[in-house]
Amino acid sequence: MRLQSYNYKYHDIGIPLQENYFLDEPEEIVQSRTIPVLETSVSIVAEMAERRKKRLIKADVLIIGAGISGMQAALDTADKGYRVVIIDKTSTIGGSMVKLDKTFPTNDCSICTAAPKMVELSRHPNIELITYAEINSLDGKPGDFKANIWKKSKYVDPDKCTGCNDCAEVCPVEVVNPFDEKISTRKAIYIEFPQAVPIVYTIDYEHCVGCGSCDRVCERGAISFLEKSEEIEVHVGSIIVATGFEVFEPFEMRKEYGYGKYGNVITAMQFERLLSSFGPTSGKVLRLSDGKKPKSIAWIQCVGSRSAQLGFPYCSRVCCMYATKEASIAKEANPDIDITIYYMDIRAYGKDFQQYYEHAKDLGVKYVRGRPSSVYENNDKSITIKYKNTLTGEVKESIVDMLVLSTAIIPSQGNKKLGEIVGVEVDENGFFKQQSLLTNPVRSTRDGVYLAGCIQGPKDIPDSVSMASGAAAEAVVPIKDRERRIGKEFPPELDVSNKEPRIGLFVCHCGKNIAGFLDVDRVTDEAKNMSNVVYAEHMMFACSGDSSKKIKGLIKEKNLNRIVVAACSPRTHGGLFQDTLREAGLNKYLFEMANIRNHCSWVHSDNWDAATKKAVDLVRAAVAKVRYLEPLSEEEFSIYPSTLVIGGGVSGMEASLALADMGIKSVLLEKESELGGRLKRLYSMFPSDIKTEEIINPLIKEVSRNRLISVMTESELFSIDGFIGNYKGKIRQKGKEKEVEFGTIIVATGFREIDLEGRYQHRRNKNILSQIELEEKIGNNSLKKKPGNVVFINCAGAMDEERPYCCRVGCGVSIKNAKLISQKFPGSKIYILYRDMRVFGKEEEEYYSDVLKNCHVTTIRYPGDKKPEIILDKNQPADGDVTVKVYDDILREEISIPADLVVLTVNTEGEVMTEKLKNMLKVPVDAAGFFMEAHAKIRPLDFSTSGVYLCGAAHYPKNLVDSIAQAKGAASRAAIPIMQERMKGEGIISETNEDLCSGCRTCESVCAFSAIEMKPNPKEPKHSVAVVNKALCKGCGVCAGACPSGAIQQKGFKSNQIDVMISALLEKTFSEKSKKSFRVDGKSDFPYNEKGVGA
Amino acid sequence: MKNRLQKNEDIDVLRFEKGGLGQEVEELCGENLFGCYQCGTCSAGCPFIEDMDLAPDDVIRYVVLDRVEVLNSKTIWLCASCYTCAERCPRDINITKIMEALRQIILRKNIDQTSLVKIPENERKIIPQMAFVSLFRKNIG
Amino acid sequence: MKLLYYPGCTLKTSAKNLERSAFAVMDALGHEMVEMKDWNCCGVVASLTDDDLMRHLAPLRNLIHVEDAGENRVVTLCDMCCNTLKQTNLRVKEKPEDLEKLNAFMDEEKDYKGTVKVIHFLEFLRDEVGFDVLKKMVKNPLTGIRIMPYYGCMLLRPREVSIDDAEEPKILAELLITLGAEVIDNPFKIECCGSYHTVEQKELVSKRAHRITSFAVERGSDAIILSCPLCRFNLDVRGKESEKLFKGYKQIPVYYYTQLIAVALGLDLKCCGFDTHAVDPILLLKKKGCLKKE
Repeated sequence: MRLQSYNYKYHDIGIPLQENYFLDEPEEIVQSRTIPVLETSVSIVAEMAERRKKRLIKADVLIIGAGISGMQAALDTADKGYRVVIIDKTSTIGGSMVKLDKTFPTNDCSICTAAPKMVELSRHPNIELITYAEINSLDGKPGDFKANIWKKSKYVDPDKCTGCNDCAEVCPVEVVNPFDEKISTRKAIYIEFPQAVPIVYTIDYEHCVGCGSCDRVCERGAISFLEKSEEIEVHVGSIIVATGFEVFEPFEMRKEYGYGKYGNVITAMQFERLLSSFGPTSGKVLRLSDGKKPKSIAWIQCVGSRSAQLGFPYCSRVCCMYATKEASIAKEANPDIDITIYYMDIRAYGKDFQQYYEHAKDLGVKYVRGRPSSVYENNDKSITIKYKNTLTGEVKESIVDMLVLSTAIIPSQGNKKLGEIVGVEVDENGFFKQQSLLTNPVRSTRDGVYLAGCIQGPKDIPDSVSMASGAAAEAVVPIKDRERRIGKEFPPELDVSNKEPRIGLFVCHCGKNIAGFLDVDRVTDEAKNMSNVVYAEHMMFACSGDSSKKIKGLIKEKNLNRIVVAACSPRTHGGLFQDTLREAGLNKYLFEMANIRNHCSWVHSDNWDAATKKAVDLVRAAVAKVRYLEPLSEEEFSIYPSTLVIGGGVSGMEASLALADMGIKSVLLEKESELGGRLKRLYSMFPSDIKTEEIINPLIKEVSRNRLISVMTESELFSIDGFIGNYKGKIRQKGKEKEVEFGTIIVATGFREIDLEGRYQHRRNKNILSQIELEEKIGNNSLKKKPGNVVFINCAGAMDEERPYCCRVGCGVSIKNAKLISQKFPGSKIYILYRDMRVFGKEEEEYYSDVLKNCHVTTIRYPGDKKPEIILDKNQPADGDVTVKVYDDILREEISIPADLVVLTVNTEGEVMTEKLKNMLKVPVDAAGFFMEAHAKIRPLDFSTSGVYLCGAAHYPKNLVDSIAQAKGAASRAAIPIMQERMKGEGIISETNEDLCSGCRTCESVCAFSAIEMKPNPKEPKHSVAVVNKALCKGCGVCAGACPSGAIQQKGFKSNQIDVMISALLEKTFSEKSKKSFRVDGKSDFPYNEKGVGA
Repeated sequence: MKNRLQKNEDIDVLRFEKGGLGQEVEELCGENLFGCYQCGTCSAGCPFIEDMDLAPDDVIRYVVLDRVEVLNSKTIWLCASCYTCAERCPRDINITKIMEALRQIILRKNIDQTSLVKIPENERKIIPQMAFVSLFRKNIG
Repeated sequence: MKLLYYPGCTLKTSAKNLERSAFAVMDALGHEMVEMKDWNCCGVVASLTDDDLMRHLAPLRNLIHVEDAGENRVVTLCDMCCNTLKQTNLRVKEKPEDLEKLNAFMDEEKDYKGTVKVIHFLEFLRDEVGFDVLKKMVKNPLTGIRIMPYYGCMLLRPREVSIDDAEEPKILAELLITLGAEVIDNPFKIECCGSYHTVEQKELVSKRAHRITSFAVERGSDAIILSCPLCRFNLDVRGKESEKLFKGYKQIPVYYYTQLIAVALGLDLKCCGFDTHAVDPILLLKKKGCLKKE
């Protein structure tokens, strides 16, 4: 870093500098030269220059990588009370998820779902976040690891940086931006993206030229060239590796697609950046060559994946879905763009994926089954694609304006080295190896080191999050007896109930986000005229560390007892401000936010005056409400330290064991007489051909032996009372009734094959079996006669009108069983009739290709609207000949196969218990009988109802690997309330005025959290009134809105509080009357009474 | 598709038992045809696809499905062994060798595809020798 | 440097000009090419069936004679010979048991020990002479001519015997830049010309030639540069014939790379044999003023 042009003669702490003080490496200089001793500030310089002793952090778990997996694992662990150190090699957290625009299949905005987790992580008292850091070495054993972290210097003081962007504006260096996947540039001083956490600018040492311009413009003096990189030693008990993935760029391999040669050929991740609202084109889909809107776009799937040569042999698992998502988003926003996806199989295997795919087709996205051979560029920079449409047989050329390549998910470049450092084996593709793919995908090959997310293999967000929770459960085991610390300590609350409101107003610039589009000065001044506002100020970033300090100081100094912050959405930083109030001794509910960013500056960015006026109105409304706000309390509940696990299959058993390993008791309910679930009826597992008995029997033994698990077979839960932390369930076991108490519940009831009701002649002929029936016969050796032709029919009862979903595991099962048959009867000819080959998991694609080749399996693709027909012998339907007629979609002709054995891959649905259970637990279930999780992407293991969790095939059919990861994840989630030992409910809950309640039950029916129950009115026992469960109520307010008599009011959003907001907003219309000040007796001159009815 | 192939009496008499054609091809060229998942890349990249009656990936399909009439196709003789398909195939199947194997099955039964007599005199003078040599290599057993 | 040279059949008949111009270039570079003794037909096309060892006999015999001449390197000018010899060389290296059989069969020949490296003349120019050396010798830069490099199949596929990247080769483009010409890149540069179909199905080849060339012409190409004698014939002669099939189409001249090097180095153009081409190559050179200044 050459700083010869540095003009300052004095460093900003006032010390005169020697002539050639700055040479190449500031750290080296500071280390090697002796600093002259001066009268002033000696201690500061000496401290800074002293050969730093290594900082030592003692914690419980170290998490490497702060993407969505790392964050989920960190939050799970920290919520249990353990201390977490989480590091990330970039300067912010968020990983690859924040690069996406929207996520499938819900089309939720990616950053909107990830950012709350990012903020929660940064504020969590048990989590220490170290960004721009990498791990150098790791020694030790489970329970006692010593890791050396190298924390690179950002050269910016995190306590002073306000994220104002002045420095980046003057920086002369432009560098290709890796966050935008190289399609844009950034400066040498930068933040990765606007919502970065922590919001501290970083100087890219490699590219900085040392001109010092940033230092000169930084008002806070946050640039600190003397800030050294440091080595930190971390002592922990376990490690979780969650370093994620990279996207393959076909520079060296698969050059025929022109990437890097033709300007309009991009990878799918680059397309995501184009779609992203904070990407280089602000969300507009534009061609890179000329910045114009493309008239046609094409996607090519499997570039670099599923390739035995010039690529990687595995399936990248998420590309079919993300291409569908990108295409459908682009199509919806621009219906005139012609969009085509070229594919080989569409692997829409997950929950709601098939329906999402069908919807994309309805939107007009064209799907062509044919992998293009090569592409070339035309004179106008459009791309010609040469392909064969394998379903119509035509070989054609198609011209598109833009080509998107769905390239493979590959391990990050540094993976091998990381593997060496951390001591974990890496598989032949570069992903970290798990201890055993089928029995413990979360544990790595080194004890005490666990894996979460794509480090183990490509996967989508819900699977990553589940696995991350699973890793958190495992990571707790070596450290489970350590001291835990829940929550933060706050000073005692002051009683302000009888005092007149003294409101403090803080208007936030949000950098340029607000201040660039409206006059924050004016807003602050107008606010000073509002009654009860005793202090008003505007600040650059109200959420920053020093702003919080300032607000706290002012609360004490000016005796403020109500706070209004005019800034962003309360969803973003509401919690942070509430914590600030608590730290100052105020009740956190004496706080209101005026959203002058999302609701004002962002949407009225073209009208300065109107935006300013609206901001003033919004502030007035917030101030009006805050006068009426009352301090609220959150009820505390104790948690019964035991979990009820419903379902004794693989998932249930793994969940119980995980809980037991964490030291938590569980009751394992199984309705059959033996544990084992569906796995007991199967013979072997794919993709490793391990016999199921080798998996299930040891598991059953371990569960039966474990003292913390009480197994109850032949048992069913038939009634339940209570709420999270305090459940009382009645269980019927062999006719006898038992009462059990528990704190949380895990639902692991699994799935079953549907009843085909005679379709495909199922059960009408002895040679037509379902997959499970086949495995049972192989298991008990009752298949005696060698079948000449064996025909597997996939998707029986799936992806049709009645059941539009994919069964996810069918393709893998059919291939595994094809292999079993071929091994048992080597001469048999095997056919698999399929619609799409959906083998997506780790090692599954390679297994599939091996089986096809070694067992000479003939695959025949049939279309959804021409299903295979089974023709029985008229004279001997039950045991005569069977003929299968199928329409071969690729040859476009009907093929007739005389079959000696027909095996149907039958679709699945939720277990029969689901209906009953859903009503008892008050949790939702979809049309197929699978339970509905709280959020499809980032809360796949939780229900909206607190205290109940979900795992395994009860959520959606899944293979063994995913089930086990999910089961451990559910255990981790269910353990959190128990380890916290007590939990707090919401403060802004609803409350019933029994005198006004008529018992109409409207509120009960609209409550999504099952928090309202009808109970007899204590004053008039004959009438029922609605009673709100303080533990379950989430404060959504729907009941208050629905109540016809106004008997339910939501605290913090009472009618009178909302009324004053409305009249404040309408103030110009109803001019003078509302300007009177608030009186201590609670009455106002306002012409409307509490209910808003004219007085 | 079935009707596009022309009849050829010499070839029709060839008989294979079930699975025999595929096995013979595999023995001749060492490529396992069952590894093909009909992605269409080979056909899309083939320079002579417009004149072929069966696309290369259809040829593989026919062999897998035991359809001996594939030996009647023009395709296997139109193949110029340019290796484009083999280089791009995601399954690493060498279709060039498969085509050669199919040709060899016919040629080794002494069913030649070319006769020197048919080539006109003036052409014989200007065509490079290597073209003749390769043609005879390919079309004569 | 003395280099052993394997001609192959066509270089002695239809492609005599390729041989002559190559020799002239070697002369100018100060190296010597010596034709090997007792060579036979290279055995094109490389054997594609695993069980067929007979078809490896001819190429192997050539390699034996190279070893016999005391050399471990042989250079070829013909793309197909190069490919065939290289593939056989590779096969016997990968399967020593096959080499044993072949050696035993050819009991009248010495045993092949596997020491020979087969290189193409282009490889020699790029790797051993170096294009920068060539650049210094250029007297007549081909300024103003826009030329499309055409590789065909045999130089690049299969990948194991390729002289450059199979999807994005650069060698001819680099050569053109060295000679001062403008390069017109074209995705059809690696597509097959039609090869031996030119004997019995010449319309097919004409169509191919038209496809390849018209694309180049659309991009502004004045000429095509290539290395294989069969490709030259197909694009040049059959290309000219396709003028009858496609109205308005005019075939552009096709050059061997050795001819263009000879022009750029200011050598006597008799060695180029331009009169054997179907489309007159001299016209273009004259028009662009690239012929040797007297």
